[in-house]
Amino acid sequence: MLRTTAIVASIGLLGTMAHADTLTFYTAGPGGLADALAEAFEAETGITVNVFQGSTGQVMARLEAEEANPQADVVVSASWGSAEDMHARGLLMEYTSAHAQTVPDFLKHSHYAAQGVSALAMVWNSQSDVPRPEEWSDLTDEVYRDLITMPDPSQSGAAFDLVAGLEAAMGDDAWNLLAALADNDMIVPGPNAAALNPVLQGAKAVVFGAVDYISYGQAESGESIEVISPASGTVIAPRPMMILESSANADSAKAFVDFVLSDAGQALVAQTYLMPARTDVEGLRPGISDLTIIDVDADAATARRDEIIARFNETVINR
Amino acid sequence: MLRAQSVLTTLAAVALLVLVGLPVVFILLQAVFPDFARGSFAGAFSKLAILTENDRLLMQARNTLMLAFSVMFGCLVFGLPVGVLRGLFHVPGARIWDVVFLIPFLIPPFIAAIAWMMTLQPRGYLFQLLGFDLGGFLFSFAGVAFVMTLNLFPLVYFAVSRALEMVGGRFASAARVHGARPVQAFFLITLPLSIPAIAASLLIVFAMSIEEFGTPAALAARTGFDVLVTGIYTRLSDWPIDMSGAALGSTMLMAMVLAAFALQNWIATRRSYISQMGKPADLEKIDLGAWRWPVIGVFSLVALIGVVIPLAAIAVTSLTGTISGGLAWSNLDTRHYVPLFQKGSRATQALMTSGWLAVVTAFATAVIGGLVAYIVVRGTGRGRAVMDGLSVLPNAIPAIVLAVGIILAWNSPFLPLTLYGTAGILLIAYIGILLPYPIRYAVARLRQISGSLDDAARVAGATQMGSLRHITLPLMAPSLIAAMMLVFAIASRELVASIMLAPAGLRTVGTFVFSQFEQGSVQTGMAMSMVAITITSGILLVVNLWLARQGSSAFSG
Repeated sequence: MLRTTAIVASIGLLGTMAHADTLTFYTAGPGGLADALAEAFEAETGITVNVFQGSTGQVMARLEAEEANPQADVVVSASWGSAEDMHARGLLMEYTSAHAQTVPDFLKHSHYAAQGVSALAMVWNSQSDVPRPEEWSDLTDEVYRDLITMPDPSQSGAAFDLVAGLEAAMGDDAWNLLAALADNDMIVPGPNAAALNPVLQGAKAVVFGAVDYISYGQAESGESIEVISPASGTVIAPRPMMILESSANADSAKAFVDFVLSDAGQALVAQTYLMPARTDVEGLRPGISDLTIIDVDADAATARRDEIIARFNETVINR
Repeated sequence: MLRAQSVLTTLAAVALLVLVGLPVVFILLQAVFPDFARGSFAGAFSKLAILTENDRLLMQARNTLMLAFSVMFGCLVFGLPVGVLRGLFHVPGARIWDVVFLIPFLIPPFIAAIAWMMTLQPRGYLFQLLGFDLGGFLFSFAGVAFVMTLNLFPLVYFAVSRALEMVGGRFASAARVHGARPVQAFFLITLPLSIPAIAASLLIVFAMSIEEFGTPAALAARTGFDVLVTGIYTRLSDWPIDMSGAALGSTMLMAMVLAAFALQNWIATRRSYISQMGKPADLEKIDLGAWRWPVIGVFSLVALIGVVIPLAAIAVTSLTGTISGGLAWSNLDTRHYVPLFQKGSRATQALMTSGWLAVVTAFATAVIGGLVAYIVVRGTGRGRAVMDGLSVLPNAIPAIVLAVGIILAWNSPFLPLTLYGTAGILLIAYIGILLPYPIRYAVARLRQISGSLDDAARVAGATQMGSLRHITLPLMAPSLIAAMMLVFAIASRELVASIMLAPAGLRTVGTFVFSQFEQGSVQTGMAMSMVAITITSGILLVVNLWLARQGSSAFSG
């Protein structure tokens, strides 16, 4: 017991000896991007960036549990609503980076700005025996019976935004569409990765509402999948980047935000197949201007979250 | 010598309170006060509505219990026969089988679930090899219970084999002398004497299966099969998160496990299971003779289903270029291993971190667990039952909620000095989460050892510490060592608490694998798992063979 305590104490000391020029960065995936940004920033400024990467839920749970004694300086989440909520609670520091000039207005705010943007799409396995779908509604066709997956809106904020967006664009027809998909034996196996995996191996053929950048990356690495953005419109999921009001390293934090929005930083973002937040940085995949974006009133959708999820569960999962 | 006893009791109580009691208290506070994390006590009990207004809750509770009992039954079917054979007979390669059956603990449950999925789902590996799939079976209640059984059956194997080693064949021999047939002697004498160990391991199985989220989420969510823990994880899986609701859900799981614990305790203490009274006795195991090959066959079959198939699926996946490319020689590719061994790779750092964390955790849990077990069985005083009950809770609380409790407790601004933000907090979490193993194993063992052995030593002039060291500890050692190996295996790949608690910048094997999956590189995640499993099982094999060479003399103090 005593020996354990001694070891524990020595490790504790090692940890607190970290020098002053460090920045703590909490981010939702992809982890490779966070590491690349941290390394490039450190090379440029000499400031060490300690990265914590998890899912949006894990990042938010950790932030909330730490609220009495916050640890993070800069946070990136995959859910725009989370930034609005944290701002409303007065947790964010006001900062607009000089590099944010070419970030479109709907992707920035006085207290946060997008790091990059993903969109929701259909992901189709081209080796499956079913035709390439063009539109969301194509999937109600009999040939796709038992071959569709969809991320669960209660576990994936992006999938929730898609349901809310389709409802905004189509009204009650959105629910008829979802009901028809459910009749076509669509499964809702969990978060984004759980919906994608069966399609990769060919157990299923199409994901309805996948986060697109992950699949662009997999297609690039040789998987026989194709990302299809319906012409009728889809929703985007901007990834807000914010500085915590409690940050003791505000200057370093601002420098990091500047770096992520710089040409070099946005190029790293683009390499993960996300859309760069800045319109003057070229992406590796179709950009915002190439997509038909459904405008979603995020506040209204958030206010109705429980209702929408309950209706989704009733219509699709527990019908 | 009352002092030695009270010092030990105090030490055990403090360790349990700090490691387990503290996070549990903060979870309860969070359940009651929704804004507790923000330092506010407003709106007490306002979240209770989710219990009264949730019409799915009863169904989820029923599903949870059904699943837990099925997994317990499955673990008996898989673990009991091999455990009995290992405990009573000379099984060829016994030490190697021990390591083989530790491998399920080296595989993170969510990876095991994905491995089974990729093997059995339509167009999975089984289909690609043999032209049929078992997706219908896998994505069902039975499939979930099956996969969870394979993750947990070694708990029964180790508990039963160690208990029966101690009971030995002599009670059965006595029964045979009195005219019992061999089968009768086994079922009426030998097996019942190992009941405390079986009950203790089943209690852990119960707690682990009501708390496990990955497998039901991966396999049965699509069929609408909901368990209590589904609701807890959904509350924390994306923004907006609901910590209070998750904490409240966890208190229900804790209540269930405490009920199971009370039942287990009643079974294990209502009569005496003492089989070690110090009389010189021949504990030699029985030779199998002609039964040698059938027994090896049984072991191989269990290993094939429980270890070889999932491990092969992980290995194959890590070696395929693309998943959609399937099982084709042209798709064989080692490129997913390359980033692991690149210069400056974070994989090496993660392996080292997990390595030392697992070693320290194994020794610390054995020391604290052995002490708590000793006090619980041999001590006096009313606090013992509380200590015993407290020690089962970590298994009942979903790891993510326990991690939140640990953050709330250790990140308080009022602490002058804290381990939070250092690797030390991971040790606190691992030790807390894994303490139930040595405690359950050692308590069961001690209930087989007669207290009169201590008394004899004391009469012969030994101090209490002396008799603990020279008599009780050596007799407990086999169970503690088995538990240490379990703890080492699980700690080497722990995921959920690590993600939540690791200081920013620190990686473990579990968080490394998880972040690979997040990025969509399933194969690199599988490759890292393979590397970690190979290293860890290699270490366990070496330790096991070394222990075998030392024989019993290694434990004689």
